[in-house]
Amino acid sequence: MKIDITNLTIKKAHESLKRGDFTAVELTRSYLNEIAAKNKEVHAYLEVFDDALEAAKKADETMGEARSKNKDFPLLCGIPFAIKDNILIKGKTASSASKILEHYKATYYATAALRLAQEGAVFLGRTNMDEFAMGGSTENSAYGPTKNPHDLSRVPGGTSGGSAAAVAANMALVALGSDTGGSIRQPASFCGVVGLKPTYGAVSRYGLMAAVSSFDQIGPIAKTVEDAEIVFNVIHGKDIKDGTTITEERVSTTYSLKRVGKKKPVIGIPRLFLSMGGIDPSVKSAFEAAEKRFKDLGYEIKDIELPANKYALSVYYILNFAEVSSNMARYDGVKYGLHMDGKDGIDDYFKTRRGGLGREVIRRILLGTYVLSSGYYDAYYNRANAVRRMITEDFLKAFDSSGGGVDLIATPTTPGPAFKIGEKSNDPMAMYLEDIFTVTANLTGLPAMSIPCGALPLPLGLQLTARHGDEKTLFEAGKDFLGELE
Amino acid sequence: MITAAELEHLAKLARIDLSEDDKKSLAKEFDSILGYIDQLKKADVKMDAEGRVGAIKNVTRPDEAVKISTEDRELLLNEAPDREGDFIAVKKIISQD
Repeated sequence: MKIDITNLTIKKAHESLKRGDFTAVELTRSYLNEIAAKNKEVHAYLEVFDDALEAAKKADETMGEARSKNKDFPLLCGIPFAIKDNILIKGKTASSASKILEHYKATYYATAALRLAQEGAVFLGRTNMDEFAMGGSTENSAYGPTKNPHDLSRVPGGTSGGSAAAVAANMALVALGSDTGGSIRQPASFCGVVGLKPTYGAVSRYGLMAAVSSFDQIGPIAKTVEDAEIVFNVIHGKDIKDGTTITEERVSTTYSLKRVGKKKPVIGIPRLFLSMGGIDPSVKSAFEAAEKRFKDLGYEIKDIELPANKYALSVYYILNFAEVSSNMARYDGVKYGLHMDGKDGIDDYFKTRRGGLGREVIRRILLGTYVLSSGYYDAYYNRANAVRRMITEDFLKAFDSSGGGVDLIATPTTPGPAFKIGEKSNDPMAMYLEDIFTVTANLTGLPAMSIPCGALPLPLGLQLTARHGDEKTLFEAGKDFLGELE
Repeated sequence: MITAAELEHLAKLARIDLSEDDKKSLAKEFDSILGYIDQLKKADVKMDAEGRVGAIKNVTRPDEAVKISTEDRELLLNEAPDREGDFIAVKKIISQD
């Protein structure tokens, strides 16, 4: 049967499954057909799982049981997901789009993936990404780039490019990505979909291959804000296996409840920061149109200052290089992954790592080693941490309700639309500059979401940032902006 | 301009083999990137500020070994490139001369 997957949302699919319009097997088959038709060109998936239909069959059984007992089944039961290649699914290959893990099979579940599986979600396959989550275009994949479904000559963004492209091209209803410096939000922006980076600690990092441990978060990529919210509600929560996860009380509705009556959130715009230059005219006009839309919807807009933001990229990259160099040390060909022979035990490491790791990964490991080495540690790493705190304090001040603060901060997600494949791949610094609006959410731990706000053919994203734990305000404002509340 | 010797030192610390070509291109990239992040030197910052993220504090648990199932143990050991029974084999790293 022909299911119209173009206009599906999680709730619509759930209602159809409930009514018996179609089965989970038929739904998954529709997405598998779409993948078969498009993946050769788009290359969103590195692997389509051969047991996806089996998982869908189990979901149908769960639904049948629930129906017979006159009970409801979970919203995510039977819903087809794409999962980024750095999130572990027990028994499945997970390679972080690297050669060094080409044949590695995950020996346990990432908590976020497990929670989805427990609801009956169907995993269609693992999606392409920049190797070890380092990049901004998915061009750093050891298995070839993913193309932007809106324009195949352009990048889908990165590092969760495969996940964003899959959702945008209807090759999955929803996806999981990971965000270290914008890696969910920027591809969501380039592909015209919704991407959420939760509050640091809201979603467990257990089973997410670590890039930058103090920045990383797993998050949903979806077509609607409501879908992102539904997935977030399932995957977030304290996890004993990840000591950095925060409790339910810290991810709550407290802040939105503080708002008097039904007044809409106040939105702050860092004007000076936005006037810094390097922003594409299409982004400027889309952002102005978005500001106007919020005003028309009854939101108060305030100008705010984030003075330390001019150092955000420098701080971000110093800490990124440092933590990456530490996290990549485990790929040594001993416990798992590629092993290449050297002349002795230590030379094995030299050969294995040079042989299995890509250019950008090696570049960052060496830069990280440099900024952490004796003589430079103070000038780079310690200094970056101190300025990280300053940047965080700027944001906390802007959000301070006692000081006439705002509830949301709005910026474009990216300084420009999706660039051409190859355009920035030879200039690491040009690639790094793309992250200018997204890195602050990772530095501060604040939750941030990108929602589509530009006209096709090239999608653009609007980024909203909220207080720690206040995903609820992001969802409310996002749904309002996209007309999902009607 | 970062020197080949400095790059070799970093490569040694990071346990990564670098060819002469690698070193040439990396030197250029290093300069471009370090040139940018050096901006941080201009920041007027109190160096005693702690580099904490949000309101996070250290969380600890007892360092206890946990028993896992035989199946899981097999899965873990099977991923090792060179497995010998219940051991992972590695080459000697200390020579005997």
